[in-house]
Amino acid sequence: MTTWSAPIYVYLWLAGMAGGSYFAAFLAERFAGYNQRRLTQLAIQMGVLPAVLGVLLLLADLGNPLRFWHLLAEFNILSPMSMGTWILLAWVAIAVVMNVLYRYEGQHGEPGGRPIHRLNGGLGWLQFLFSILLMSYTGVLLATSNRALWAGSALIPPLFVASAVSTGIAVLIAYILVVAPVTTGKTTEYRLPARLLTGSTEWAIPTRLVGRLWEAEAIVILVELVVLIGLVAWLGSSAMAGAREALNMLTFGALAAPFWVGVVLLASIVPLAFDMMSPGKELARREVFRVALASSVCVLLGALFLRAVIVIGGQL
Amino acid sequence: MPKARLIDVSKCIACRACQVACKQWNELEAVTTRQRGTYENPPRLSAHTWIKVEFRERPNEWLFRAHTCMHCTNAGCEQVCPTGAISHQGEVVVIDQNWCVGCGYCVQACPFHVPDKDEIAGTARKCTFCIDRITNGLTPACAKTCPTGAIQFGERADMIAAAHDRVQTLVARDGYRGARVYGEHEMGGLHTIYVLTDAPEVFGLPEEPRLATATVGTQWLSGAITAGVIAILPFWLLFQRRNRIAAERESNQREV
Repeated sequence: MTTWSAPIYVYLWLAGMAGGSYFAAFLAERFAGYNQRRLTQLAIQMGVLPAVLGVLLLLADLGNPLRFWHLLAEFNILSPMSMGTWILLAWVAIAVVMNVLYRYEGQHGEPGGRPIHRLNGGLGWLQFLFSILLMSYTGVLLATSNRALWAGSALIPPLFVASAVSTGIAVLIAYILVVAPVTTGKTTEYRLPARLLTGSTEWAIPTRLVGRLWEAEAIVILVELVVLIGLVAWLGSSAMAGAREALNMLTFGALAAPFWVGVVLLASIVPLAFDMMSPGKELARREVFRVALASSVCVLLGALFLRAVIVIGGQL
Repeated sequence: MPKARLIDVSKCIACRACQVACKQWNELEAVTTRQRGTYENPPRLSAHTWIKVEFRERPNEWLFRAHTCMHCTNAGCEQVCPTGAISHQGEVVVIDQNWCVGCGYCVQACPFHVPDKDEIAGTARKCTFCIDRITNGLTPACAKTCPTGAIQFGERADMIAAAHDRVQTLVARDGYRGARVYGEHEMGGLHTIYVLTDAPEVFGLPEEPRLATATVGTQWLSGAITAGVIAILPFWLLFQRRNRIAAERESNQREV
């Protein structure tokens, strides 16, 4: 019998997605030296939905949802669930403020917008820190327990952080590819329906940036795969009670099918193969576009399988 | 002076009077179960069963152990509770039924798999040490009813002394060379002390129960380090370093 089931693993998936997409967008644009933070803006606008959906799922899973405010009456640094409540709340609050400021910035042009731009820049850094905390929290929540699969090693937070970043990149790419392609003649650009988001004219996301994100996603998946192999090796070699049973259950037992097909194949092998199939990342080409989209869908589904297998597996 | 419950497995005859007394005093409803080929029933502790006798069979020997809340001094359930609904009242770990939100975190944190979420009440529940009895000078229902003296209740120091005496007897007179006291030091000291005739694992108890929050700092750190590695590995390498290399190559070509 499992105390935590679908609402919890979907919630962890959504919270990771929100934190991961912002983390990826923020770093990509800072390191690439883009002054206009289109991708970061997109991530913060997109991220509110999964974060709020996640909170609703968490509340629905409570035995007494109407007592949810009791969570806000306590600040317990030892309890990851208490810390997670505050982190998620702060993440959503900052995201909402940043969204309002972006809209205001867009409507009022440069001169009036400059202080707001600076304020949003500061909030952006704060949100980056909260995104790291949010991604980590999804793993620390499980790891601070007495379940061998979750708590025996310190590998669940790294696994969930890596998975959150790959999920975040995948959802960004999927959104850009599905919502934004504009084909004029022989070229395709990725333009976001900015009017819906900020009231300004359309933005263009550089195709090269999307291609680089895809490349980054492959490396993050490799990191995730290394951590997963480490976890399996630890389960196999640990003397901790329940560790060997957890390994058997994942590899040969009740969860073998979702583990091998969902986690190993869908979340890792297939997206890596897709990445190798498109070395140039020429997203303007229709077949490459399709491969990128398929890869993103696989990563998103695989990450959900990963959380389901780990959450359920820890309790069996 | 803190009180404790002493459970001597060598005296337990698995009559399950403790289970019945607990249900009766705490008004816990009966659980419908299926025959699983054992007299052990119900199959597990739950929100409606706060003490149960576990059966283990060895050649020529039945092992019985009454399993219930240990009322740990360092209680993992209390430490992870996000609302503060779980607290110590003296030596007793209690769940405030009017404050618990039913998140189930205590269920995951307990090294002894004791608390359980009641799906109807929507709260976590477990043995209360009959706090309503012991604060009125009575003994817990399970200890009161035990017909063989396998469950005793008293001052913790007295219970520990009695446990050590009993272990000496079991080793010297009865030949239980693996007999030991369990709970004197585990989790900062349990308030359910056991006299075991063999290693804890034989009775389904962890040799070294761990506090769920013992590694919480390491777990946060491991997440943050991974984020740092990912920030450098793909992002810095792909987005900044590659841009710089491309720019340098471009300027070199221009010079040539």
